[in-house]
Amino acid sequence: MKKSVLLVLAMIAVLVFASFATTIVMTAGAVGREYQVLQQQIKVFEKENPGIKVVLMPMPNSSTDRYNLYVTYLSAGMPQPDVLMLDVIWPPAFANFLVNLNPYFSKDELKDFFPGAIRADTYNGKLVAAPWFIDAGLLYYRKDLLKKYGFEPPKTWDELIHEAQVISQKEGIKGFVWQGAAYEGLTCDFMEYVHSYGGAILNDKGQVVSDSPMVKKALQTMVDMIYKYKISPVGVTTYMEEETRHIFQNGDAVFMRNWPYCWPLLNGKDSKVAGKVGVEPLPEGTGFAGVHHSATLGGWQLGINKNSEHIAAAVKLIKFLTSPQQEAYKAINAGQNPSRLSVYNNPAIIKANPFYKSLWPVFKNAEPRPKSPIYAQISEILYTNVNAALTKQLTVDQAVAKITKQLKDLLGQ
Amino acid sequence: MFSRKDPLHRSDPIYAAAFIIPTLAVIAFIAFWPLGQTLYNSFFRFALMYPQSKVFVGVSNYGKLFHDPRFLNDLWNTIRFTIWSVGIETILGILIALMLNKEFKLRGFVRAAVLIPWAIPTVVSSQMWRWMYNDNYGIVNTLLMEFHIVKNPIVWLGFPSTSMPAIISVDVWKTTPFMILLILAGLQMIPKELYEAARIDGANAWQRFWSVTFPIIRPTLGIALIFRTLDAMRVFDIVYVMTKGAANTETISVYNQWVLFTKGFIAPYFGYGSAISVTIFLIISAFAFLYVKMMKIKLD
Repeated sequence: MKKSVLLVLAMIAVLVFASFATTIVMTAGAVGREYQVLQQQIKVFEKENPGIKVVLMPMPNSSTDRYNLYVTYLSAGMPQPDVLMLDVIWPPAFANFLVNLNPYFSKDELKDFFPGAIRADTYNGKLVAAPWFIDAGLLYYRKDLLKKYGFEPPKTWDELIHEAQVISQKEGIKGFVWQGAAYEGLTCDFMEYVHSYGGAILNDKGQVVSDSPMVKKALQTMVDMIYKYKISPVGVTTYMEEETRHIFQNGDAVFMRNWPYCWPLLNGKDSKVAGKVGVEPLPEGTGFAGVHHSATLGGWQLGINKNSEHIAAAVKLIKFLTSPQQEAYKAINAGQNPSRLSVYNNPAIIKANPFYKSLWPVFKNAEPRPKSPIYAQISEILYTNVNAALTKQLTVDQAVAKITKQLKDLLGQ
Repeated sequence: MFSRKDPLHRSDPIYAAAFIIPTLAVIAFIAFWPLGQTLYNSFFRFALMYPQSKVFVGVSNYGKLFHDPRFLNDLWNTIRFTIWSVGIETILGILIALMLNKEFKLRGFVRAAVLIPWAIPTVVSSQMWRWMYNDNYGIVNTLLMEFHIVKNPIVWLGFPSTSMPAIISVDVWKTTPFMILLILAGLQMIPKELYEAARIDGANAWQRFWSVTFPIIRPTLGIALIFRTLDAMRVFDIVYVMTKGAANTETISVYNQWVLFTKGFIAPYFGYGSAISVTIFLIISAFAFLYVKMMKIKLD
């Protein structure tokens, strides 16, 4: 009899205790090493904050798929996931569903973050997410092969094409791999070509200006890399980030366009190209006024679901993950660029990622994609038509004409 | 005979209702309610994000469908996919089922082994095939190059000419076992005496198939065709995993997902997306009705 009373009391105690412990659910990416690194960070967080438990929810690799999942969670008004990992282009679309973080970050604290990222995360005067890490498109190249054939890292697309042609033919490997599948990543790649030739899709006033010789030249360059110069395999039209990294890391390509996350993986123990990889800004175009080296601004933000039942705990988690120490830890182990400027003065992260210093201007000047609540539709018009041109379903002129018309229809111009 | 007063055998409408109502309630809740909701939504113009600002537009969403080149193109893609995959599956299904109906060693083992592709979740098998079709590290290209059939790897999922056949092949691989299973069940219902009688009458193998086998398995085949056609018309997972609709492989369900989620979340297209869903439902119902009539299947 006494035993059973004790048992009941113990059970009640457990239940009461459990109801005090707060569980927050956070969505997380699993590209490269980021998931394992985040798990380590969460362990530290839980030790520092007893009573808060964090459950990680891995998300698909494709950013387009993540967007669709978030639409499901948020429009259903679910209290979970509490903390959302958001792509840099999403805050305007999800702003109504996110907690305003202005009260939790002082003005001085915000000054430490990349201004471009803070601009992207602010919508209608509200800070709806905090920048977590920054991305910018980079050119990875094989140092050993360029040296063997006496080349310098390419400064223009023409140089890249020439070097890739020579080396790939002699070595029997692929010249240049990039993201050409019909998804968000292709929009990023395409914007880099457009900007590098001095072109634009929307101007500062939001008007459609895509029908220009610069945009046509940019798309023509991408198409020619596959069919005319044959430096990119026809398969790039189906590649996303990880497919290109597999090829490059296997030693099967001379050049690769990708994000910073590749660096620690390419230099990891199981990589065939460890120690043979260099990083440079992406090449610039030629023949137009305003050509320049361009990198698309990427990166991920942390926002809080408005319906979350644990907003205070979620704020703690976001503050923890965006703290200078944790950003440094993440940069060293997952290769993801800190979103705080001050972290770049930390010698340990420069040692792990030397290109953070040499490519500082690339990150600082990375160019944003159009900011709009209907960004997903703008991007879809771009990547669908660009992919159709890359697979020869449309000519370059047809694709640019279609992009221009569809964007004008969409934006009512 | 039983007496009418026997409490176990009297027909009691209250008992009957008590047993049927829970079932009907569950069906109404999981099938008719969402269907009604979708139909209701399809008459409005609104975004998922702003459900309060609904504008009634009558049937104009349905009218717009027929002027939407993307919808019409995707409808044609879906029909192409359905005809090819269901056609090949039916022919292969009949042939393999006839073989498996014969007596041979290890028949039980082979019958079980045939079911494996069907037991694998579609998403998993699509991902697996996506890797097999990969241009660098995929087994399909490796074999083709090993035997010198092609010089350069084929990018199966990049181009309209190869991506639709590649997607159809996955569906055929995956669902032929389902066809085999159903047709085999039909074949086993045929009494051996019928074949004996046909042989005595001097019928050859072809005549025996058309006059004995086919009429008896026709209802089974009809049911199998209904299942498969309905499945194929709303194909989503294979296409979404393998190409996301690139290279002109988009089917109406994949388009529907895009309109409902990505577009209809912020822009006022959720009603239009619902109209697409209802139209898919109507098209599939029409097919089912046609089959029932053609195959003379009695549903009651």
